[in-house]
Amino acid sequence: MPQDSVRTIAIDSRLATDAALRVGDTVTLAAAPGEAGQRARIAAIVRRSADPSEVARGEYRVRLHLTQLQDLIGYGDRVDRFAIATRGDSATTDAVARINASAFGFRAHRSRDIAVQTSATFAVVSRFHRAIGVITIVASAIFLLCIMLLKVDERRRDVAALRLMGISAPTIVRGVVLEAAAIAVAGSIVGVMVGALTSALVNLHYQSVYRTPLRFSMITADIVLLAVSLSLVLGIAAGWLAAQRLVRTPPLALFGR
Amino acid sequence: MLLTLAAASLLRHRTRTALAILGVAVSAAMLLDMVMLSSGMRESFRTLLLSQGFQLRLAPKGTLPFDTEATIRGADSMLALVRARPSVRAVSPVMGGQLHFATPHATITSAALGLIPTVQGDYELVSGRHPAEPNEIVANDALLRALGARIGDTLRGGAGFDPQLRAFAGMRTLRVVGLARFVYMAAEQRGAALEIDALRAMQGVGARDRISLAMVRLANGADIEAERAALTALLPRVTVISTAEALKQVDERLSYFRQLAAILGAVSLVVGFLLVTTLVTVSVNERIGEIAVMRAIGVHRRRIVAQIVMEASALMLVASPIGLALGLVTARYLNSILASFPGVPERIDFFLFQPSAAWTALGLLVLCGVLAAVYPSWTSASLPIATTLRQEAVG
Repeated sequence: MPQDSVRTIAIDSRLATDAALRVGDTVTLAAAPGEAGQRARIAAIVRRSADPSEVARGEYRVRLHLTQLQDLIGYGDRVDRFAIATRGDSATTDAVARINASAFGFRAHRSRDIAVQTSATFAVVSRFHRAIGVITIVASAIFLLCIMLLKVDERRRDVAALRLMGISAPTIVRGVVLEAAAIAVAGSIVGVMVGALTSALVNLHYQSVYRTPLRFSMITADIVLLAVSLSLVLGIAAGWLAAQRLVRTPPLALFGR
Repeated sequence: MLLTLAAASLLRHRTRTALAILGVAVSAAMLLDMVMLSSGMRESFRTLLLSQGFQLRLAPKGTLPFDTEATIRGADSMLALVRARPSVRAVSPVMGGQLHFATPHATITSAALGLIPTVQGDYELVSGRHPAEPNEIVANDALLRALGARIGDTLRGGAGFDPQLRAFAGMRTLRVVGLARFVYMAAEQRGAALEIDALRAMQGVGARDRISLAMVRLANGADIEAERAALTALLPRVTVISTAEALKQVDERLSYFRQLAAILGAVSLVVGFLLVTTLVTVSVNERIGEIAVMRAIGVHRRRIVAQIVMEASALMLVASPIGLALGLVTARYLNSILASFPGVPERIDFFLFQPSAAWTALGLLVLCGVLAAVYPSWTSASLPIATTLRQEAVG
């Protein structure tokens, strides 16, 4: 304990900003409003961790010495949890089993199990996003099919002329499919760029709203690959369907005769 | 005449029209879902907060009810002050905690609420009766199932642990007198309620004269915000939250969903708009000769515009009911996903159907249909008749 008997604390940067506090300032801590409390000196300002489970909570964080907090809130010789470092996975399994065999009123959990439990909210959000994604894909597929149909329909006369010149139906289908694939690739490239920009804006906005370094939106190689592949498959399928419809129509009918 | 022409134009390319309707229907479904998401969550929470008739809630300073384990000290004198106010009709203090029941296989832990059964607003009795004695509890279905117990059974439960004696603290024999449905608990959360003094006695000296929360019911016609301000001034150690304030806090925490709903709703509208614009523009371009002929024989520009607007609006209107039905089905599915959020009360609906949501979606779609017709209408209304006829004749 320092000579002046004022103990040190660390506060988070959000509290420091809002309350205009700096390292070295002395504050009074109390467990309830109106109580006398204890004096403490700010020894550090810590950056908030990028913890998803805390993101929507606008709480401030103050870190105290264990005994200091126990004194302050009248908690006695109690703690809420321990963290135990073990030597490897088998040692963890052994420690969890031994503690739980003799524990009464508490349980030992693996850190990864706790991580799974605390991230349950985000697992739900992820499922929700996937469901929305499926609806978006259905809408995009219909949109793409419709556009390809219109695009191919626009070229009825060209296709009729090609057919009358002796170009085979499979060649025409290949040509249309190739064109559809090119459109899909071009659209995907534009889409990835728009996505990257949107993602940057989303991060900028939510990081400022929730005052956290957490990244809300990430575009990974897997996501780009999935989006481009889907777009390509949908584009080719839409082009193929539209081309099939066109080559099955007699050339003179395509001319409107 | 106008309707016939518009219908004939749409039916000329059935596949194209059917695809456009399907596309707009999916967009409409998404739009409806997003309108439901943006307003439903808030409305559902508001209904939940007001369902028991309490307009104000008192929580430890700086917290929301049951957001932390903090409690309010000196509760009895504070409650007396609140009850003495002329506009206060009833006050329901609540103490939160846990009950632990030893079974042959494991210890079953449940959330516990200590309250005054005659004025409480935390549970609804499904069967049996309210606790009337210190050793009586009501429990929800999840807890009774876990314990294999029924109304009338007697249980041994404690409110904490004493690790040194390896025994439950505040051990007591409790009799189940009712089956309850807890208003603010999650679907599978185990819950029990008993008299507040009984729970506090089980929790020990640390819980004496403390509460976690108090709910206040005001007299009819009382000014809620004025009463909130008065109680805030009277009780500096608590946060007084009105329903409006609670909704504001919820709005802040769930702003992500509202913003997502706004973005996806806007994207759905744009997709529907683009689809209809493209389709109607191509359709108009294909029959530009027909339109020129109609203009040449004296059909007024306004009639041409009206026909094109009608085509676009018809696509939107036909797609809307399909989209509405599709939207309700998808909303139910999406709601079932979000309902599994840990800790969300069972009664909260993220996607709440309200007639206003359907009307809003329909209005936006019709507006989009009309806007989608602006460009093709302008093209057809402003085309040079003679030049177009000559080009069409020459091919």
